[in-house]
Amino acid sequence: MKKYNLSKLAGGAVLAGLLLPVTSTQASPDAESIIRSKCLACHTEESAEPAQFSRMSHQRKTPEGWLMTIARMQLMHGLKVTDEERRTLVKYFADKQGLAPEETAGSRYAMERRLNTMESFESTNFTEMCARCHSGARVTLQRRPAAEWEHLVHFHMGQWPTLEYQALARDRDWMDLAFKEMVPELASNYSLKSDSWNQWQQMAKQPLSGSWSFSGQMPGKGDLRGVMTVSGGQGDQYKVKVDGEYADGSAFKGSGSAIVYTGYEWRANLTVDGVKMRQVFAASADGSELTGRMFESIHDEAGMDFTAIRSGSTPKLLSVQPEYIRAGSTEVLTLVGTGIGQKIDLGDGIKVVSELYRDDNKVVVQATALSSAETGQRKVKAGKANGATLNVFDQIGSVRVVPEFSVARVGGNGGSTPKYNGHFQAEAWMNGADGQPGTDDDMRIGFVPAKWHVEPFDAQAEADRDTHFAGQMDAKTGVFTTAAAGPNPERRMSTNNAGNLKVVAEVEENGQTLNGDGQLIVTVQRWNNPPLP
Amino acid sequence: MKNNNKLRRSAITLLTATALGLSGTATMTALAADGKALKSGQEYMIVANYPNQLHVLDLATDSVYKTCDLPGRFGPGALQVAPDKKTAFVLNNGYEDIYGVDMDTCEVTFHANMSQARNERTKSIYAFALSYDGKELYTVQNPTLLERDHYRVQPTRLAVYDTSSGLNAKPVRMFPSPRTVTAMQVGKDGGLYMAGPDIYKMDVQTGKYDVAIPSRNWQRERYVQPDVLNVWAVQTPTQDFTILYTTARFQEGSEDLNTADWLYGYFNVNLETGATEARDFGPITEIYFTGTRSPKDPNIMYGVLNRLAKYDIEKQELIQAAELEHSYYCITVNQTGSKIYLAGTNNHVAVFDGDTLERLNTIDLPGGDMSTTTAQVFVR
Repeated sequence: MKKYNLSKLAGGAVLAGLLLPVTSTQASPDAESIIRSKCLACHTEESAEPAQFSRMSHQRKTPEGWLMTIARMQLMHGLKVTDEERRTLVKYFADKQGLAPEETAGSRYAMERRLNTMESFESTNFTEMCARCHSGARVTLQRRPAAEWEHLVHFHMGQWPTLEYQALARDRDWMDLAFKEMVPELASNYSLKSDSWNQWQQMAKQPLSGSWSFSGQMPGKGDLRGVMTVSGGQGDQYKVKVDGEYADGSAFKGSGSAIVYTGYEWRANLTVDGVKMRQVFAASADGSELTGRMFESIHDEAGMDFTAIRSGSTPKLLSVQPEYIRAGSTEVLTLVGTGIGQKIDLGDGIKVVSELYRDDNKVVVQATALSSAETGQRKVKAGKANGATLNVFDQIGSVRVVPEFSVARVGGNGGSTPKYNGHFQAEAWMNGADGQPGTDDDMRIGFVPAKWHVEPFDAQAEADRDTHFAGQMDAKTGVFTTAAAGPNPERRMSTNNAGNLKVVAEVEENGQTLNGDGQLIVTVQRWNNPPLP
Repeated sequence: MKNNNKLRRSAITLLTATALGLSGTATMTALAADGKALKSGQEYMIVANYPNQLHVLDLATDSVYKTCDLPGRFGPGALQVAPDKKTAFVLNNGYEDIYGVDMDTCEVTFHANMSQARNERTKSIYAFALSYDGKELYTVQNPTLLERDHYRVQPTRLAVYDTSSGLNAKPVRMFPSPRTVTAMQVGKDGGLYMAGPDIYKMDVQTGKYDVAIPSRNWQRERYVQPDVLNVWAVQTPTQDFTILYTTARFQEGSEDLNTADWLYGYFNVNLETGATEARDFGPITEIYFTGTRSPKDPNIMYGVLNRLAKYDIEKQELIQAAELEHSYYCITVNQTGSKIYLAGTNNHVAVFDGDTLERLNTIDLPGGDMSTTTAQVFVR
């Protein structure tokens, strides 16, 4: 085993294919008997009642964190468990030694596969010692006592012996710093014991079956709403159906299964219109709301923010779609939520002309914003339901590309790694009182349709013909599909189809074209792509 | 440096092989029977590549003279040529083993597994060198104890091997070593030069070491701490151990990096004389993985990664640069300095004229990528 450890270290690549199970769970005695039969060749049983084992009983992690650990035991340390047994173990550990909801706040982007997140941490040491190689969130989503953080340093140095030699490591006594400064810092900031976790363990966990009204906004497709039906619940497993529509009327229909870890970590695998998708949501403590991200399983860059509210909960509006209306115009607006009351109040200067449709989860109205309506954000109410806003604007002053800076990756072409494409949205803004775009008093209007293209970001990109080689922008959807992976003999030095591009959105406004731009780096594959980046 | 004294004090360990049941040395046999001997007086170059082989190139004809299969698995394929120019030593098998290969017969004549215990996993990160007489092999080892349910990183150590110990070589001496040592070379006086946070010189009998050239801890007025990474210990015709550094020099009276001069430079130890040097040779306009001075003109520095560049050291000027069809990592020159050889990455060696930087030749290798192999030129 020893001999192939390092090659398995590419193990990250193998881990990449792992998705959290959503199909099984076992009661804890089974998990403990698996541990006793499969793990004690290396681990020690420290106590039988309550069951406590060396290393594993002294850490808390997310479901993804536990999956990575157990998968690593399989890949690198010869653990032999069936997929079924691994699922049982992940569930057991995530439930018994998970993170409280507030302990994951601020780091959920890693579980939600938002790989274009730009992290920022106060601690320079943390940034350079930990987040230099992997996401900082992978660390902030763990809780350990000092002894276990120390084990982690030893593991890192043993597993990746060259990490001391790399840039931002070879300029310092890395090992000393890791043991003497990082271990205490981590043990203090991310300690095993916490009040949050104690309280969360005491709380009754809410079952999540029922009918859910949901709202989303998919780049390239637009606003989405619908109903998610959740049934079952035994062993925290559910059957899930989604039935919705995009703003353009196209359907969003699919089904699959879900499992809830730690009493609130919702993970679902669905097939929606033939495409495999994942849901990574957090349930609110009262079990009435789900929030997170829904994304394609293979192309997890294609995804959307997603919110859902359970039917029968306190009335609430999730969104008004679209989220803006121009003063002096009449538009069709859809209010999404639950318990949407009869009396709809869109705010000053906006009149409901007629109600076009109503069901339990949405109300469609025709509304007019008066020419005299003051610009700005309105709080929208429908009976007792509120929580959504509507932006009134008179004129688009500027357009911003979202994300402003992002990374996409070449892929495919017979390689093991799929393309990681770019998904862009044009965000319209209204000038503030100063009449100038790009100043602090600008008001966000919302996402608007745009015409898309890419340009070379700089002279080097132009000389290297990056726009020609790096991929194709869909003018209508703002989806940039990257080029094929691998050295390209047509390029200077046979380099990959990498590129440094300016992403340009053009929006027509009063006969003028407003441009917004962002930067897109197209680079090589992410070879090491485990569940938590 | 404060560790230095502590390390010195705790030094001097002599380990015998028997104490530490070593595993896995049984399969050493001649793997390729290409028995074509090298010719005396002939100039050769060696490189290693995937799947796992050593190539001897004839530099008179710039062609592959012979190929030997290597034991273990490929990686990194770092090479050192023994002073007798008969044996090539290769760090291989995932940085865990050093093999000596008789280039005449392709026979493996030496093997040392870096691990000294059954539960130890030990890697050498390009850190090995031969004594001036070839009788000893020095390597800096990074051990990790693989305990039942955890790892324990151990202090790094210098292990000394007798190159005549055959296929189950055990260290004859071991000493604590600084961490993060990579390239190493031995001077004529027997001192071992180790490139780490600083360039150290170690007494291989006592394990005592001192800073030969300060790097991280240099005190050069207006200069920031240099950055150094060199994993290619190229044995040069001039007996120079050359290591590139990058740094920035503030303008007088300023500490503003935006206005600083960004500079390339080199550390050099003349292994013959022990003379050391730290000298800038030009502004940073691109990155080089390796650099070497011309045996014809010590004022000429060549560097390579994405271009082959040539500098006038005195004037600190880029004189000329040749475009390359892909990156090359490792530069070396022939004995006279008339030709430059570029290796590393891909499976061919590029040959350039040392004066004009004109591309002269391409030597195609059987097999695949050379990775971070060290190209070594020598005369049998």
